[in-house]
Amino acid sequence: MDGMDWMAGAMRAARTRLDVAAHNLANVSTDGFRKARADAELTARGILLRVRTTDTQGALRHTGAPFDLAIVGPGEFDAGGVKTRLGAFSPDRAGFLADAQGRRLHGERGPVFVDARTTIEADGSVRSDGRETNRIPLPHGSSLRSGFLEGPNTDAIGEMIEVLNAQRAFETAQKTLLAIDQVRERAVSDVERLK
Amino acid sequence: MTNAMFASASGMAAQQINLDVISDNLANADVAGFKGSVAAFTDIRVPGAIGLGTAAIGTHLLFEQGKLMKTGGAFDVALDGPGFFIVRKGNQVAYTRAGSFERAPDGSVRNAEGWRLDGVRIPDDAMRIDVRSDGSVAIDTANRKAVAAGKIAVVSFAAPERLRPLGATLYAATRDAGRAVRAAAGDDAPTRIAFGTLEASNVSIIESMMAILAAQRAYEANSKGVQAADEMLRIVNNLHRS
Repeated sequence: MDGMDWMAGAMRAARTRLDVAAHNLANVSTDGFRKARADAELTARGILLRVRTTDTQGALRHTGAPFDLAIVGPGEFDAGGVKTRLGAFSPDRAGFLADAQGRRLHGERGPVFVDARTTIEADGSVRSDGRETNRIPLPHGSSLRSGFLEGPNTDAIGEMIEVLNAQRAFETAQKTLLAIDQVRERAVSDVERLK
Repeated sequence: MTNAMFASASGMAAQQINLDVISDNLANADVAGFKGSVAAFTDIRVPGAIGLGTAAIGTHLLFEQGKLMKTGGAFDVALDGPGFFIVRKGNQVAYTRAGSFERAPDGSVRNAEGWRLDGVRIPDDAMRIDVRSDGSVAIDTANRKAVAAGKIAVVSFAAPERLRPLGATLYAATRDAGRAVRAAAGDDAPTRIAFGTLEASNVSIIESMMAILAAQRAYEANSKGVQAADEMLRIVNNLHRS
């Protein structure tokens, strides 16, 4: 690997950082959104970027709807096989809790059925007239809040700074690339003159 | 860079929708019985790659209780608790929480748009109207007291947020919202009917103003994303020195 390869790698890394930051920024109003983060690592083959989603807690927003659920702490809802932090559910035609796309919320005993008397407790238990009918599995230490939705765990200002940083990093790599190019150009022309 | 540009553009579009919804809420903040909504978004996931921004997935009605205001209007009723009034016009049925009604010359009780409140008829000789918390209407006439004049029905839906709005305060039933089920009203029931009272909208002007500011800033931040992507494309073009 020579300097040019390294700088090309740095530019690719900056591009990925921008893509990640732009995606996070676009979702500052998406409930339950988990921001992605690009971690750079130096290897013998250049800069290796690993993109993963973070799992810090997003702010809770009160909605008052009884089947809007927010998890405090780690854990995810199982909406028909799709893992999500977005807990905006309401009963579908058959009385099962489903999200906006119609995917049913699954508890330990299958899809969660609710009626007018159903309450969902902080420990994830679904109760009808005080009797537990189902349970939304939660990791130890997490709790459930009904009547709340979790906002995104991303903020506009932080992501905007990341956008600007990525742009500057890209620019720096380009300038360095040009400098290396200039040195090589000099080498070529000077060697020629030495003849 | 083009990924970032699309993602940021989707973010700008999302904030525009967000602003539309907030301004609609604000415009109706003084309308009794109005329920605010929020725009809902989802991230566009790409398996094994960085996501491509956001997409709107409609709006979400918020049926939080509004404050009850004493009005003393001739036939103002408010629901304290979940549920809806049934109103009819011709053979159309709609549901509402806006309880500003008046007696029409034919004895029916109608709102300003002419929707008739289901189940109540006030005779011509009524001198005083009273509505109890369970919705039963009683009138006093010149020579009789507490004559029954019908009962205001309250219905509830399994998923009220999936009703279809008809204008600001009326809703139409949808298959997704479930069937309109008669709900008990009264002091012991979850819902109470308050007479001489209207339910204010559940829109908080202060919160809406703050949401506008946040949406504006988010729009601006996303526009910076588009600019940065554009700038980086320019840098790529400058890699080749002529």
